[in-house]
Formats: sequence, C-alpha cells, structure tokens
Amino acid sequence: MSNGVHEIEDAALLFVFGYNGADSHPIVARRIVRAKQKGAKIICCDPRRIETARIADMHLQLRNGSNLALVNSLAHVIIEEGLTDDKFIEEHSTGFEEFKELVKNYSPEAVAERTQISPQEIRQAARMYATSGRSMILYGMGVCQFAQAVNVVKGLANLAIMTGNFGRWGVGIGPVRGQNNVQGACDMGALPNAYPGYQNVTVPEIQQKFEKAWGVPLSNKVGIPLTQVPHYVLHEPEEKKIRAYYIFGEDPAQSDPDLHEVREALSKIELVIMQDIYMNKTGQFADVLLPSTGWNEHDGVFSCCDRGFQRIRKLVNPPADADVLTDWDIICRISTAMGYPMKYDNTEQIWNEVISLCPSFIGATYEKLEKYVNIQWPCRSTDMSDKGTSFLHKDGKFANPDGKARFSSIDWQPPVELENNEYPLILSTCREVGHYSVRTMSGNCRLLRNLEDEPGWVQMNPELCEELGVKHGELVKVLSKRGSCIARCLPTDRVKKQAVYMTYQWWIGACNELTNAVLDPISNTPEYKYCACRVDKIEDQQWAEKYVLDEYAKIRENMGISEQPKGGKAA
Amino acid sequence: MNSFVQGDPLLCIGCRTCMIACVVAHEGKRIFEIDPDGYDFHPKLKVVKTWLVSVPVQCKHCENPACQAVCQVGAISRIDGAVIVDQTKCIGCKSCVDACPFGAVRMAPLGFETNPDGSRRAVANKCDLCTGLDGGPACKRVCPTNALRLVERENIDEILTYKRAESLKTAAATISPSITV
Ligand code: SF4
Ligand code: SF4
Repeated sequence: MSNGVHEIEDAALLFVFGYNGADSHPIVARRIVRAKQKGAKIICCDPRRIETARIADMHLQLRNGSNLALVNSLAHVIIEEGLTDDKFIEEHSTGFEEFKELVKNYSPEAVAERTQISPQEIRQAARMYATSGRSMILYGMGVCQFAQAVNVVKGLANLAIMTGNFGRWGVGIGPVRGQNNVQGACDMGALPNAYPGYQNVTVPEIQQKFEKAWGVPLSNKVGIPLTQVPHYVLHEPEEKKIRAYYIFGEDPAQSDPDLHEVREALSKIELVIMQDIYMNKTGQFADVLLPSTGWNEHDGVFSCCDRGFQRIRKLVNPPADADVLTDWDIICRISTAMGYPMKYDNTEQIWNEVISLCPSFIGATYEKLEKYVNIQWPCRSTDMSDKGTSFLHKDGKFANPDGKARFSSIDWQPPVELENNEYPLILSTCREVGHYSVRTMSGNCRLLRNLEDEPGWVQMNPELCEELGVKHGELVKVLSKRGSCIARCLPTDRVKKQAVYMTYQWWIGACNELTNAVLDPISNTPEYKYCACRVDKIEDQQWAEKYVLDEYAKIRENMGISEQPKGGKAA
Repeated sequence: MNSFVQGDPLLCIGCRTCMIACVVAHEGKRIFEIDPDGYDFHPKLKVVKTWLVSVPVQCKHCENPACQAVCQVGAISRIDGAVIVDQTKCIGCKSCVDACPFGAVRMAPLGFETNPDGSRRAVANKCDLCTGLDGGPACKRVCPTNALRLVERENIDEILTYKRAESLKTAAATISPSITV
C-alpha cells in the first residue's frame, strides 16, 4: 500500500474497488467503519452488495469483469469536467497526453451497458473522487484475480495521479493483500525474480553482494512462478522439467485453479515435500511431511499489507510429544544436510542478516520493533529517530528513474472464459469471514468449524434459485468445463442473477475444480473471479447428503486422520 | 426496566464473532477440554444479513414477554432485569418460538435429556444477557467495531433526549429555514 492502514480513517473519501474488507480482513474493515464515523464519504465498486456497499454513499454494482472499462470511464469524466490536478500532472508525471486520447473512447454512455452502471452514477462517482481533497483507493482480489489485473491496478493509479492523490496523509492506493504476511513473503524475496528487499536477481552488483554475504555462487536467472508449476511438470521438455517441489505453508491442491491439472502435476513430480502445521489436500501427494510449529508457537517478524514490520511472539510451547520444529529450524537443517551449513540461535540473528542486506529495511531493528511496535519500510537509517515511512511518494517523487509517475494507457479486455449456452453463469470465488484461506488453520479451530463446515455454500440470487427450483440449504451441483463439485445453495439478494459465488476452502465444495487456470501475463495470478459455470438441481437429496459424508470420510482417511467421523482435531 | 443488547447496522460488519463469544461464554473452559463434537454450538443470537442491514438479532427482554405469557409450564420468567428460560423445565412445545415477534427464540438440542429414540431433547434457547457470567454480555465485549451496546434505562433517556432535539431541528426548519436550534 502506498499509505498506512491507519491512514484509512483520515481519508475524506474511500474508493473501495473489488475489496471485501469485512470478509477478508475484519480489522481493516473496522478502519473503514471508523472513517465513515469520522465523516468520510465511501464509494464501493463491487458486483456484490458487500458490507462496505451497505454503508457506502454510492454503490456501483458493476458487472463482473468490467473493471477497466469503469476505471477508464471515471478518468474520462475527470478530464471532461476539468477536475484534474494539472500542477501535479505537469510536475510529477509523464504520458498524460496519450492517456487523454485513450480515455476519449470511454464516455460513461459508451461503457454503461458493459459495466451495467448508469452514466449519471459514473459521473457522480468521478466528481466525488476527484474533488474530496483526500481520496484513498483500496482494492483487493476483485481487481487482482483477473487475467487483466495489473493493468487495472495501473488504471486505478492513473486516477490517483491525475487528481494529485499521492504522497500525502490519507490518500494513495492500497492493495489490501489477500493473505496475512503475503507482503512479508514478497519482502523476503519469495518471488522468482528477487532477493529480499525487492533486489533483482539479474543485476550483477546485487548478485555479487549476496554471493559475498552467503559465500556461494548464485544464479542470475529469473525462476518459475508458482502458478506455472503444473505447466513445467506436464508440458515442458525433459531438460526443463521440474522434478522436486518443496511446498511450505501452502495448499496448491486446494487453492490453485483447475485442481484436476494440479493433482496430475503433483502426482507426476518425482519428489514432493510438504511443510505445514496440519495435514491438507496437498499433503496427500507428499513423499515427505515436515510438521512445523503454528503461528503461536514461534517467534518471528511479520509484514502487514502497508509495509509495516511487526514482531510475532511465541505464546505457547508446542505439545511435548508433537515432534515439531520451527520453520526456520527445519530450513537450517535441510540446508545443512544438503551441504550448506546454516545455523542461527534465534530469529533476531536471522532478522539482522536480512536487514543488513536490504537497504530499505536496514533501520527496522529489533530494538525499534520493540519500542515502536510497527515500522513501515522504507526505513533506511538505524538511528532511533527514523521510525519508517507511513506514506510513499512524498513531494510527488516516484520510484522511476526520472522520479515521475507514469500514466498507463490500456484498453479494457473482457474476461477469458465467457458464459455460453452450456454454462450460462459466471463463477467467482471469494472469501467468507471466519475461515482463513484454505482453512488449514481455521478448519482446525473447533468454534470456527462450528460456524461453517463442509461442504460449503454457493451464493445465488433468489430469482435464479426460483428458476432452478432450489431452496436454501439444498445440495446442488456446480459444474464448469473442467470439473464439478457439490455445495449448499445460499439464496441472497446481495448477488446479481448472472453470477454465483463460492469460497475456495472446502474439500467437498471445492470450487477450484471449476476455475480457469488462465493467468494475468504480468503477475501470473489466475482468473479466479471469472469462469463460465452452471448450477444443477440434485433430485435425490438423500443421495447427495450421503455423498458429502462419504467423500469427507474418504478424504480424511486418505490424509490419515483417524478420529471420530466428524471430529475436529484434524491430523 | 429490563436491559437488552442492541446492534447498530451501520457499525456491524457481519463477522459473527459475537455468535462465537456467546457460545464460549456459556460453555466456558469446557470447550477446550472435551471432544470437539461433545459440546453444543448454539449461539443465543443470530447475525442476519439482508440487502440493507447486517446485524445480530437477539432477545429484547420485553417488559411483558409474549414468550412468558404462552409458556404452559412456567419455564420463562423475569429475573433481575432479564427474561430467562429455565431449560430444565422447558417441555419443547415451541409456543414461545411462535409467540416471539422478533424471532429471538430458537429450539436447540442442548442435551439435558435424551428422547426415547436416543436423539437429544430440544429446548428453547435465547439470550439471557449472560446473567450470572463474569463480565456482562459477551457478545458486546468481543465485537470488533463496538456495534453492540447494552441499553439500560438511562440510555433510553439519552436516546430520547437526542431524538427530541433532532426532531426539533426538522420542525424549526419547516417553519423558517433561518432558525437554528
Ligand atoms: S461481532 Fe459485532 S460486527 Fe461482528 S457480527 Fe457481531 S455485531 Fe456485527
Ligand atoms: S448477552 Fe450473552 S446470552 Fe445474550 S446474546 Fe449476548 S452473549 Fe448471548
């Protein structure tokens, strides 16, 4: 995020696009509620009537997959009505003329049908965003999980640049990340192209720096993105194939699109190592299981979505007979066994090494994390007076060689797999509050499991339910070209008739059996938010209920979970 | 006058933490000591989500409770400013479920006794304001947005004072827009 999460409260206007805070991050949603209490206006762009839409001043209930059309149209209105911050554009950006040409084609009238939003509403929203004085954009997976994703982010950035909403308190653009510590994973270089601190592996000086620090020769080649692993197992020539896969705190056999293909890839790889806190679907394919400690059983440093580093502290000891190790201890032992001795006494030593190699983290010492609790990078000085950076781009300085922000002129592009006669509905995957991600953690929390359990729900508009003759709680079959699963019907007028929604954590109602593995070309994120599907009524409900129970028992047996059939202590 | 817990739909984010807290408060530490399926998960409040609102619905602790009036066995009574169901007395006739205009009473198999066929006996289950438990209403304590509050007699007076003042503003504005109250 360009700005701190705490700044949300002080925005004059929040423009919330494809971000369902209440379900994904209740703690961030609390900031949105507080902003509203402090008088902020809220514009919510989402195809669903999410919680934020309820308290918003405007809800633009756009058609799924029309993101960039709407964003470019907002820019069109801002230019047409002379609401741009010309001084900011002039002094701090490049490419505006070209962008101006592009958005000429995006009048509210031109996009009304595609976005299903009236021209008046688009105009009003554009005026509100451009004139509030302090507008902040928050976006989430409703932007990122499309084949056209990064370009929509650039489109949103265009809005912030053209109205001068950068480099101040309570403005900017905030990707509220999908998972906790996904920011941390990126910060620590768990990316195919970077060392910790976003230092590119292809830059010779950086390569040399890390070679010197670690005393080994390092590769200067960009690696393979996670979502392309199945491709590298199944379709690449022998010499380029992936042979071993070390998976750690991830459950691709549940979370990745087109699970059929993922399973095929996992069974074909020669060696699968899984390191996790409980058994999960991927574990069924693992040759080696490395049980590790849970979030409350170890120390570490965590990065929030707003670049803030915070300490996490061990609360409890793992059970004496559990035979688990912390993740960092396992990594050290594996490395040592492979011939590169690695030894640390505690997480502070590891952290000191990290910050010593990352100029933008160097000031985030344990001492400061202890004293100030939260340090947002960049923090370039170890001096106690440097408490990090709440907002980026101060004085209109951007991280491009010329120090200027760049306008991106990009046309809207439709989603890849559109509805058709056989599959007339849109399937979009989503989150539900209570269960986190693939629920390796929350599914093993008895109370959260009590709140929601297998096989999960499919959210459907009541009119659609009526047409299909299905009722609340009835089991239905959801199908796409790639697969099918069974889930319970949840009628709700919060969703439009053309789209249905499923959360991706259920073993039985596993919507990723259906999703399309097409990727955004830049981020390699799959199009989880759009594929064609169909919902079928199941006449024999008794059979379906039994199927759910049997399947669940089968999966548990496969995972070696032996307790009572409905038991909670998985693994 | 009885108190009651009231939710504010402008603050509620529908997270249902309150529902979990209600069960934890009534089950206590037992939850972590027994078999995961051996306790009852029956929150005494229910978060309702519609087009306009998300907010928990729970007992209003009425002054002249319809549920109490229809109960044939005297299982429902007013005790210390709360309307309480004595679940050991309840015969499961569901009259209170029928009578409550708010949908605040639910039947729940709480396992006091088993029916002849082995199933657990269902009894009326509803908010008891956490009477007898430390710390007062648990739902209110855990809500991340402070969307819940315990409304007591004094609060009702405050609410009324505020509303009267607000309504005067409108009244004044209709008479002459220049008057400010
Ligand atoms: S805990 Fe608070 S915010 Fe969450 S559902 Fe209950 S009342 Fe609403
Ligand atoms: S006041 Fe207590 S009993 Fe009533 S709903 Fe809240 S937590 Fe449950």
